[in-house]
Amino acid sequence: MTTPTVSTEPNTRANTHVGAKPFDLSQPSVRTAPVSDEHAVVSIKDFNLWYGNFQALHHVSLNIPKNQVTALIGASGCGKSTLLRAINRMNDLIPIVKTDGTITYEGVDLYDRAVDPVEVRRRVGMVFQKPNPFPKSVFDNVAFGPRLNAYKGDLNALVEKSLKRAALWEEVKDKLKGSGLGLSGGQQQRLCIARAMATEPDIILMDEPTSALDPMSTDRIEGLIHEIKEHYTVVIVTHNMQQAGRVSDRTAFMHLGVLIEEGPTDQIFTNPKHEMTERYVEGRFG
Amino acid sequence: MKASLSAPAGAARRPGKRLVSAEEARRLAARTRAGRIFAVVTFIPVVLAVALVGVLLLDTLLDTVSWQIVEPSSSTSGESFPWSAAPLGGREVIRLDLAAQGETPEDVQAFMNDPEELRLFEARGRIELMWRTEDGPFRWVVTNSRDDSVADIGLFGVNAYLSELRGELAEDVEDLDPAEGGLLGRLQGADLDGLFNRFANIGLLSSTLGEDQNLYLNPWLDLSFLTKNASRTPVVAGLKVALLGTLWVMGLVILITLPTGVGAAIYLEEYAPENRFSRLLELNIRNLAGVPSIVYGILGLYVFVRLAQIGPTILSAALTLSLLVLPVVIIAAREAIRAVPSTLRQASYGLGATKWQTVSEVVLPNAVGGIVTGVILAIARAIGETAPLLLVGAVGFIAYPPNGPFSRYTVIPSQIYNWIAENDVEFAHVASAGIIVLLALLFVLYGVAFYLRRRFERSW
Amino acid sequence: MERKTPGMLGRARAVGLNKRADRRVGEAVIGTLLLLCALVSVVTTVAVVYSIAEETFQFFREVSVVEFFTSRVWTPLFENQNFGIAPLVLGTLMVTSIACVIGLPLGLGAAIYLAEFAGDRTRRTVTPILEVLAGIPTVALGYFALLFVTPVIRDLIPGVNLFNPLSAGFVMAFLILPTVTSISVDSLRAVPRSLREAGYGLGASKFELITRVVVPAALSGIIASFILAISRAIGETMIVTLASGGRPNFTFDPRQEMATMTAFIVQAGTGDQAAGSLGARSLYAVAAVLFTITLVLNILSQQVVRRFSEKYE
Repeated sequence: MTTPTVSTEPNTRANTHVGAKPFDLSQPSVRTAPVSDEHAVVSIKDFNLWYGNFQALHHVSLNIPKNQVTALIGASGCGKSTLLRAINRMNDLIPIVKTDGTITYEGVDLYDRAVDPVEVRRRVGMVFQKPNPFPKSVFDNVAFGPRLNAYKGDLNALVEKSLKRAALWEEVKDKLKGSGLGLSGGQQQRLCIARAMATEPDIILMDEPTSALDPMSTDRIEGLIHEIKEHYTVVIVTHNMQQAGRVSDRTAFMHLGVLIEEGPTDQIFTNPKHEMTERYVEGRFG
Repeated sequence: MKASLSAPAGAARRPGKRLVSAEEARRLAARTRAGRIFAVVTFIPVVLAVALVGVLLLDTLLDTVSWQIVEPSSSTSGESFPWSAAPLGGREVIRLDLAAQGETPEDVQAFMNDPEELRLFEARGRIELMWRTEDGPFRWVVTNSRDDSVADIGLFGVNAYLSELRGELAEDVEDLDPAEGGLLGRLQGADLDGLFNRFANIGLLSSTLGEDQNLYLNPWLDLSFLTKNASRTPVVAGLKVALLGTLWVMGLVILITLPTGVGAAIYLEEYAPENRFSRLLELNIRNLAGVPSIVYGILGLYVFVRLAQIGPTILSAALTLSLLVLPVVIIAAREAIRAVPSTLRQASYGLGATKWQTVSEVVLPNAVGGIVTGVILAIARAIGETAPLLLVGAVGFIAYPPNGPFSRYTVIPSQIYNWIAENDVEFAHVASAGIIVLLALLFVLYGVAFYLRRRFERSW
Repeated sequence: MERKTPGMLGRARAVGLNKRADRRVGEAVIGTLLLLCALVSVVTTVAVVYSIAEETFQFFREVSVVEFFTSRVWTPLFENQNFGIAPLVLGTLMVTSIACVIGLPLGLGAAIYLAEFAGDRTRRTVTPILEVLAGIPTVALGYFALLFVTPVIRDLIPGVNLFNPLSAGFVMAFLILPTVTSISVDSLRAVPRSLREAGYGLGASKFELITRVVVPAALSGIIASFILAISRAIGETMIVTLASGGRPNFTFDPRQEMATMTAFIVQAGTGDQAAGSLGARSLYAVAAVLFTITLVLNILSQQVVRRFSEKYE
């Protein structure tokens, strides 16, 4: 159904980029001004993930602060998307995935048997790389999530609120019945953000949300991310370092499935402590 | 592969050395010519296939019309009435015919008011708008199962019929009475060999008729063909029983295969774990799709007709055909489901939809075009199936339309088969009319499927 | 992948992340229903095999297998019963061979034309016509064979019976043509561009490229289409029932009436043999042979296709 986006190939190639020196996976992550457990809304502890026999995440630990934007950066194949999808258990959809370690949200280990991944995804929204509105009307797109939950309140108001938060209301308020596919690429992505917000999640995960968009649309989405962190905790995967610098409060750099370094974004970009991070932010590989 | 490549490789080396010599130019021209001839040769099968479809359609269509020489029975007048005398046909023609038989207006009215009389008439008679009679084109004629059909002459068989008649008459010239002698003279004087005078000799054909005989150009396929019950007399035989049988069977087939086929397709595409059992299921479905249809007939005969004791009924036929088309439906539905982009599924799961919510809210609505198209094509296949149904009861003479899943039945193709098997010139016309109806039905279905495919076509 | 931590259920409940029993049951019920739908196909297979095998087994308790496969007389519906399937198999082979001799080359030729020479417009016109040809009910083809083709053949060749495998085979050739063409076109078009370019690069003309590079590369797909077409011809019923007749005749003269296996099944299945009589059971024995042959051919073609798809993907 879904094919893993991770292949074993970058493993060797990335190593040659870094240099002759083989990379030591057992080094602890470098942390600057770490987020304490009580300030974290999501707490990832010693998390490992395998696609079949291939280990895509190695002992990742990361606290994600509430109402802030956390960026995951790294070369393609470094596991940043996998980590993002681990937070709302999207990886469960791939049958060959195995995990261990914990991801705690509101004191609940999301990977405990008592937890329903469906409920997790209702609380942790997601925005994908390519805008993927349903081939339904704008209204029905936004109302999709609430309807799944048999939303009791005023659906019209909720849709309006979500579209307003996604800064799309003014553009679509006259064509709510028009197809979501009739919008421009940037509008579609904002529709997807509105759709994610309509389920009233606490956290919104964004997987390279602007990689398929033109610069103007990218600009609007970045501005939007800034605005919505008032209401939501945002985790964003990006391969665009300028973007990470512009939108995020904290940044985590990953390489070959290992969290190398994390800290406040300006620290990571101006004063990286790990050699690998420095090489990456200077654009020497990836 | 290597071996096959080596030959052109050898050929390629030559021209590179210097300018092409005369001999090499010749060889080059020969190679180009070979390519062109090859293109033409491979085009021939395409032409043949298209031609066959054309000839088949044309032949069948032409077979639905024939010249008939009829001796009316005592229950019909044998007269023909202009189209304008009864523009709506039906009862008005019966009235005219009864009057022409010499009935008083009171008797005619009494006949028309008696439902039992009318029912008897409809079981035995038929009002035909004949394309041509001796009195002119497009005239109403009342035909009856008791009418005697003296001769049936193919649309283009007039000359052949006349020359055969000429031969018969010429054999014993002495015994001929004067009228026949005159006819022989006319026949001998006529040009019966020309390719293009087949219609010109219609007048001559008329002059061969006996005292009470009438000549009609009978369109075997008209509206009344669809509304008449089956009959043992070709001229009044209709397709109603088989048409209703087909509708009943196909209705049930849709009811059975649509949920089952789509359900199986959803299971295989969305639910089935990747293991040996799932692979076995798939292999099984692929193999079922290749089982000859007659084998399904044996399954139906043994399991439904005999073991389950459903008998040779509509339900047996529907169950048999359902199993026959199920693999086709499953395969088509799977393709439609697979065509729904996985990004939409992810979006749905990402919003906290369960598996079934994702399938029912996102996958199925977006696959519906492909599924419906596939089901229509499968139904089109089932409608034309004859062999399996011959084994589960669609054989023999069924006089009345089915009235439920447990009634005896016949369907269009098996009715056609029975008509062909009658081995009778006139029933062959009836069969060809049936084939045209069947093909028309299929073209409508293909048209709808084609339209839906275009309508639901979507670029992601 | 999921772990169990004591007390986690309570905490999950408190924040509403726990699994809901009603939803889990609902999903499981739906999953089971869908599985049942898929299992219908398995039941069908079992039923097919069972219905044929049961009566065939009964049949062979009374008729010797040796007689069945070696005798040359087949008269199970007559007073003097003989059970040698040879005439039926021969009839089937005769019609199938005639159909293949005409239909396979024509189908392949059309495929080569459509895949290699035809312009877009020709392809878009011809392909639906071939689909129509494939969709014509076989009873209509049988009518055409009996009432149009047979008279023509009888005019051309002396001594041809009214029922004969020639006209049945001829019409059946056009029944299997679309099968051959559509599968072969797919496999011809699947030949990678790089291979064609290599051929052209080595100076091959189009004719040489097609005959020496493209067709050999697509050969397994073409062979698979041939096998499938043969299987379809063997299982085809209405054309042979109508045009080739019902008298089992052990002869190699295609002008004579010959019954095929499928024609016999129709004959026996529509006749009035008492269920359980040897005559009625002979139908199942013939069906067993027919089913086995077509199954083997279908599996064979799938094997060939699998090899072919592995090569380029």
